[in-house]
Amino acid sequence: MMGRVSNPSFLNGVPELLVLRLLDEQEMYGYEIVQAIRSRTGEVITAGEGVVYPVLHGLEREGAVRSKRRTVSGRSRVYYSLTPAGMRRLEEMSGAWTRVTNAIQGMLKGDRNAEAI
Amino acid sequence: MQRLFEELRERLLRVGVAPRHVRRYMAELNDHLADLTVEEERKGLSRKDAEASALARLGELEELAGAMIERRELQAWSRRVPWAVFGLGGLASLSVTYGIACLILWSGWRIFLPGSPTPFVRLEGLAIPYFGMGRLIYYGAPVFVGWALCVIAGRQRVRAVWPMVGIVLACVVGAMAQVRVGAVGSIGLAIAPVSVTYLAGLIVVAALPYLVWRVFAIVTGGVSLKGA
Repeated sequence: MMGRVSNPSFLNGVPELLVLRLLDEQEMYGYEIVQAIRSRTGEVITAGEGVVYPVLHGLEREGAVRSKRRTVSGRSRVYYSLTPAGMRRLEEMSGAWTRVTNAIQGMLKGDRNAEAI
Repeated sequence: MQRLFEELRERLLRVGVAPRHVRRYMAELNDHLADLTVEEERKGLSRKDAEASALARLGELEELAGAMIERRELQAWSRRVPWAVFGLGGLASLSVTYGIACLILWSGWRIFLPGSPTPFVRLEGLAIPYFGMGRLIYYGAPVFVGWALCVIAGRQRVRAVWPMVGIVLACVVGAMAQVRVGAVGSIGLAIAPVSVTYLAGLIVVAALPYLVWRVFAIVTGGVSLKGA
């Protein structure tokens, strides 16, 4: 199994990107988001599950997501969904991340013409 | 478990995270923990083991606190710009309160005492509670503002300096402000000399809730003010 990646500086911006990507598909509450990240990344990217909430609060404050409290099966939950500003933010972050990973991949493969970061 | 949440809540408030974010964070962590416990129980763990495992998955105190603290945008305004909240905010609230008191006096004068050269006459009927309300707001304004600042300071675990600056400022301005009546229907505020005894009393009454809270916190040790 691959080692867990939890270096905060290396992961700078990654939690936001993953959260925005998931919310682009459907509205979710915190527990669902964390479980989706765990399963989709094969548990490579993990941290204390509770740290997803400061990320969500920060994104909401920036206007990238909105929250709504709903009662489902007798449980009151805060559901998060993407706003138009969040969609634009996701687009920008995805583009930047793709460029970075392509450049690193190219460098790891020894490609001298790897796209500049 | 309860202790972890209590410690986390106190730590976040002490470093200035806005109370509404702290409250919601605590509620969401509680919900998340309940979901994790159910998930662990489904794996066959006993209730106790499931809770322990769920707590470990939720994260450690340092991690949970750090994630919230590093987001400066979640800080309360009273921490970001305390001079504005406790200084300007206090004075602005005082101005609004005096505005309301003057409005009540002005409207009461027109409604209940038309033609009277002054509103400071013997009152009857509905005029008594109407003017009484205005008088209460006028005389109580510095105290009400002081108490509001105390509540903000207490909720957000703010150190004494800025709340006291705000309270003293509101009391000085409040003690010096006096209603002046000019021509019929003309009302305004003027600055008048202030009695030191009256000012000192006003400050003590206005700051009382904060002082009581500080003493209570120190005596019980329930709320640490270190670094607050």
